[in-house]
Amino acid sequence: MPAGSIEEGLSQAKEIIGKYPREQRFLLAALQDIQKHYNYLPREALALVQEHFSVPMSRLYSMATFYKALTLKPKGKYVIKVCDGTACHIRGSSLLVEELQRLLRIAPGETTTDGKFSLETVNCLGSCAIAPVMVINDQYYGRVTTAAVGKILEDLEAKE
Amino acid sequence: MIITIDGKQCEAQYGEYILDVARRNNIFIPTLCHSDALPGQGNCRLCIVEVLEGKRRRVVVSCSYPVKGEVEVLTNTEKIRKMRKNLIRLLAAAAPDSDFMRDLQREYGLEEEERFQVYRGEDCILCGLCVRACEEVGIYAISTVNRGITKKVSTPYAEPSAVCIGCGACARVCPTGSIKMKEENGRREIWGKTFALLPCPGCGKPFITREELAYVQAKTGLEPAEILCEKCRQKRAARKMRDVFKDVTMK
Ligand code: SF4
Ligand code: FES
Repeated sequence: MPAGSIEEGLSQAKEIIGKYPREQRFLLAALQDIQKHYNYLPREALALVQEHFSVPMSRLYSMATFYKALTLKPKGKYVIKVCDGTACHIRGSSLLVEELQRLLRIAPGETTTDGKFSLETVNCLGSCAIAPVMVINDQYYGRVTTAAVGKILEDLEAKE
Repeated sequence: MIITIDGKQCEAQYGEYILDVARRNNIFIPTLCHSDALPGQGNCRLCIVEVLEGKRRRVVVSCSYPVKGEVEVLTNTEKIRKMRKNLIRLLAAAAPDSDFMRDLQREYGLEEEERFQVYRGEDCILCGLCVRACEEVGIYAISTVNRGITKKVSTPYAEPSAVCIGCGACARVCPTGSIKMKEENGRREIWGKTFALLPCPGCGKPFITREELAYVQAKTGLEPAEILCEKCRQKRAARKMRDVFKDVTMK
């Protein structure tokens, strides 16, 4: 799924929002769709949401900062989620995070300057049997070792 | 119905909050996030009391616990004091420079906090009263942002708000004085936005922002000349009373 860019205009955002009835219970779903399309919540798109649903901007901003799935800054093309739940932690997930930090030169929660990778830690992916687990976009990687991390990143770079 | 609070018989309505019954009967329960105008927050937990109902005995939050039966309430048991002490320690760590918290610390014989990390420079305990106040005014300029330990109250994007009218309601309800509102040379500054203050038509003292005046006018349909500062409003009310009773003579 190629991320939409704000330059292409807001017609996409308008279309996404327009699909929803003007009722507050659809707010979160609309925000999620926008996040999915642009990889973040562009300010201009939030203004459209505000208009469509007649909600105060403060409320939208509160939601956008509360939910982990929503971000106000663009996320990378590849979002790397390293599980740091109990099982993964015991099996050395913090070493994976360290290795990724070293290779990508970003801390969890950040995105590389070229916009390719975002690094995140999550609290349980429900796949403890194959701990430590890492997910990149929708692809799962189980029993990951620090050595494998470099290889996985290389493969993604090669795909470009 | 009758409920007993610290041994005193108190008349209570079904559904009334324990705190309200206690206050009416001059029984003091400490509160932080409670405001008579915006009741039922239930965030700070300072107002905890013990409720005895038959054989059951439990700790409840008095500002949002409705009276449903003829219960017995104890506001200052050893257990409550102990729990409240811990709450005060935690809240004081979040609001170390608030006079209110300092007084409570003293009252409960607490020393400077050593165990919990103390956050200096900020006195917000996230009670949410300011956000509620702004909603009540109908402006919705501020909200809580983030979550967990980074949660705070802010305007969107932490920028001067596009919609704030500078009424100061949020700062007035804040129990710890953590919302900074500066007034100087006929200007008011709040949430990073500066407003010019207009003079009261009664006494000439600057008291209201242009934006708030326009908002009040639109909402109430009053003429600007009728929108007075607090003092002049009281005076006018007193004068009206006098006029009403002018021709009434006591027999
Ligand atoms: S001063 Fe602004 S933020 Fe505070 S209550 Fe008034 S409108 Fe809301
Ligand atoms: S006053 Fe009851 S919880 Fe704060």
